[in-house]
Amino acid sequence: MAYYDELFKLCGFEEKEIEEERPRIEKTLARLGIVPDDMPSAQSWVKQNHDLSLVGVRKLLGAWLKELIDLVLAKDEGKKVVYFGFPAILGPGLMLSASSDDVLVSAPDMVLDHTMGQIFNKLTPILEAGEANGLPPGHALCSLWQAKIGGIIKGMVPMPDLALASSYFCDMGSKADDLVTALYGVPVAYIDGVMDSRWGEYPRYLPQRVSYLGAQINQALKKSEEVLGIEVAPDAWEKSQIDSRGYINNLLKLLDLMRADPVPISVVELELLEALSGSSTGRGIREGIKAMNILISELEERVKAGKGVTEKGAPRVMMASGHTSDPRVTSLVEDAGLAVPLTMVLAQVGGPKHPPKKTYSTPGETIADHELASGPVHGTDAMIKMFQSGAKVMKLDGFIANYLFNCRPASLTSHTQKEYLERTTGLPVLALETDNFDSRTYSAESLRTKVETFAYMLKKRKEASRN
Amino acid sequence: MDALQRLGAHLETRLGSLEEAKRQGRKVIGYTAGGYLPEELVLACDAIPIGYVRAGDNNILRDAGSYICRWIDPFWRSQIGYLTSKKDPYYNIADLIVVPITDNHARAFSNTIVFYTPEVESFVFGVPHVKDELALGYYLDGLKRLKNKLERFTGIRIGKQGLKKAIELCNRERELFSQISMLRKANGNVVPSRDFIALHHGSFLADKEVMVDVLESYLKEAKKREPSADNVPRVLLTGSTLGDGDTKVLDLIEDCGGMVVMEEFAEGLRPYWTSVGLEDDPMAALAKAYLMERVCPGWFRPGTERLDFLVELVGDYRASGLIWYQLMYRESYKVESYFFPQILKQKTGLNMLVLESEYDTAAELGTMRTRIETYIETIRT
Repeated sequence: MAYYDELFKLCGFEEKEIEEERPRIEKTLARLGIVPDDMPSAQSWVKQNHDLSLVGVRKLLGAWLKELIDLVLAKDEGKKVVYFGFPAILGPGLMLSASSDDVLVSAPDMVLDHTMGQIFNKLTPILEAGEANGLPPGHALCSLWQAKIGGIIKGMVPMPDLALASSYFCDMGSKADDLVTALYGVPVAYIDGVMDSRWGEYPRYLPQRVSYLGAQINQALKKSEEVLGIEVAPDAWEKSQIDSRGYINNLLKLLDLMRADPVPISVVELELLEALSGSSTGRGIREGIKAMNILISELEERVKAGKGVTEKGAPRVMMASGHTSDPRVTSLVEDAGLAVPLTMVLAQVGGPKHPPKKTYSTPGETIADHELASGPVHGTDAMIKMFQSGAKVMKLDGFIANYLFNCRPASLTSHTQKEYLERTTGLPVLALETDNFDSRTYSAESLRTKVETFAYMLKKRKEASRN
Repeated sequence: MDALQRLGAHLETRLGSLEEAKRQGRKVIGYTAGGYLPEELVLACDAIPIGYVRAGDNNILRDAGSYICRWIDPFWRSQIGYLTSKKDPYYNIADLIVVPITDNHARAFSNTIVFYTPEVESFVFGVPHVKDELALGYYLDGLKRLKNKLERFTGIRIGKQGLKKAIELCNRERELFSQISMLRKANGNVVPSRDFIALHHGSFLADKEVMVDVLESYLKEAKKREPSADNVPRVLLTGSTLGDGDTKVLDLIEDCGGMVVMEEFAEGLRPYWTSVGLEDDPMAALAKAYLMERVCPGWFRPGTERLDFLVELVGDYRASGLIWYQLMYRESYKVESYFFPQILKQKTGLNMLVLESEYDTAAELGTMRTRIETYIETIRT
């Protein structure tokens, strides 16, 4: 038995899997600088932060580890590597992945956050490396990009062969892709879009936005073919949809289970599975679907038994998203006695459906239409309305409207979402400034007073309404 | 009265003339910085364009803090502050505010208008971040929607002839800016940067005919000026934004014995290097000139065209130093400022000084002075 076996078992690996993967695991850990001395703290970190009584949760952690191994070793194993920025329009990445077994398409920042952060608790040196190489602290630059650059600089993750630049949502991501190009000559396929919707326009949008974003996606796929020397299969879109449908179906089932009181699972674990669906196009997502199948059965049992992670009758709040690298920040909300039945991803999956405007002749336009209809890429008010629509469905008592320091598009809601949600739903909203990717400044402790006070107020409100 | 004094006198009474024009039924169209709104469309429907570039005062950021988080760049927070606080009447005199959406900082402003000042009518259209045929088509479509909006709003149809006439007028303004700027290639003293920037800032508020007249006079005056000894360090000043009121860096460079001979900013100065073609389809010509032919700002992807242009300007203007003046939280410029010094050094031999501002003079002045003094000294030696 090797020094890491126990940790990998905690993370849902079967003994047989460990044996089969052993050479790859060892090569990966060596490259990441993980040594035997790291194991006790990693095991204790995982046990402290995750509900390991659920096999599905363990398997989810395992899925992240498998994605990490595939990512770290991709070049060694002869694969071409494509990175995309998070949050991403995942369609083009899924299509590339579905078109060739020799291409690995991933979001390395998210993989590092969830593994080096949530499992090994060793993210800080990676962030510092990013800060020292073009993305210094104190300037509200993206922590995900700091992790990505840091991971590359430290040789933990390979230099990509191509960057799929998310030029439709954030300005930072595409510019950081320019940085990688300037320093290392990595080619970039820009997927450009313009968030020029007018406040109040959602769910309507101009057909020109679909055409432009769609054409940009098609163009990026073409460039990917040239750079990677592959051919995007004619049925790649359909195939990728079939491959990832399991995830969506499971999210819908999960949404239904989250209506229960008490809620059966912590938002910490929801974060694990939601983030995986937006970060991986390969083994991570395939393993993630299997993990979710197990998890859903387990949660059904919990709901039947009336078991949950918070007390029955606890005030229910929506929290947009959890922390990618430090679960203590996420669990703070539940520690304060609040249940979180709804997140942004679940609200998106379960929210009002806006069917495609028409049938399109190219995958790019189909993807673009889907993305514009589903919210975040549309504009600021679309993001907020998504939360609004979840309030009744999940019987919410309030919202924790966290907005992200160092993410411009996600922080344009900083003031408006509180005002809008309070006005339209009548529920209290805690506007909470956070950094969901780096907890050095925005630690759980720094946020505790605000969250606890909000929780206290919600509990009193709920008591008063019962009486 | 010299040209700048005439411009000053014109601007002193400008607010009153705008109010009078409104009483007579003309519309005032406000627009945000970045250089992507063709004023020609506004002029062609007999409306009056005014551009918003005021910034530099940290106090206004406190007003903006009630509406947006602090990590939007201070220029755009200033725009939010002026609009919502009503502390600058130009922000409230407009009948319609047009916001070309360039990046998320501009989006912050457009959201604010609709959410917090719904009484102000606004119109947005998008500026793609790449230069290709698809982007050109999208931008042109946005201009067409703007044209329709302006026609409906003013009740005046924009005809080809009217638009061409407006293009000619704006081309003349651009040509004059270009000619004035180029005088500095030979000798910087004949056109002080302070004058050149004042002309730009004034041009966002002034009547277009008056402005062209002022520029013509200024050009004549500058040509007559006696060049003095060209032995001071010649500085190229660049960044995202040089707001009207943001004079700190320029003051310090001059105080420290340097001379700015060229300014390259996407916001606060108007793009003046390219003219709009007068071909058959003026709308297509506008889109081509405003999106494809101008040098793109730092938030384009990739931003290499602008960086190449800076290298070119260093040579053309015989700059002996380059000062990169970025605003806090403007991520595109911050990221570029990491890798551009190496390119600049390699291609021109120059070192680059990076300065950053939150418009906080009290906190920034001392450190900026030390850094600029040292930089100018290194150039001198």
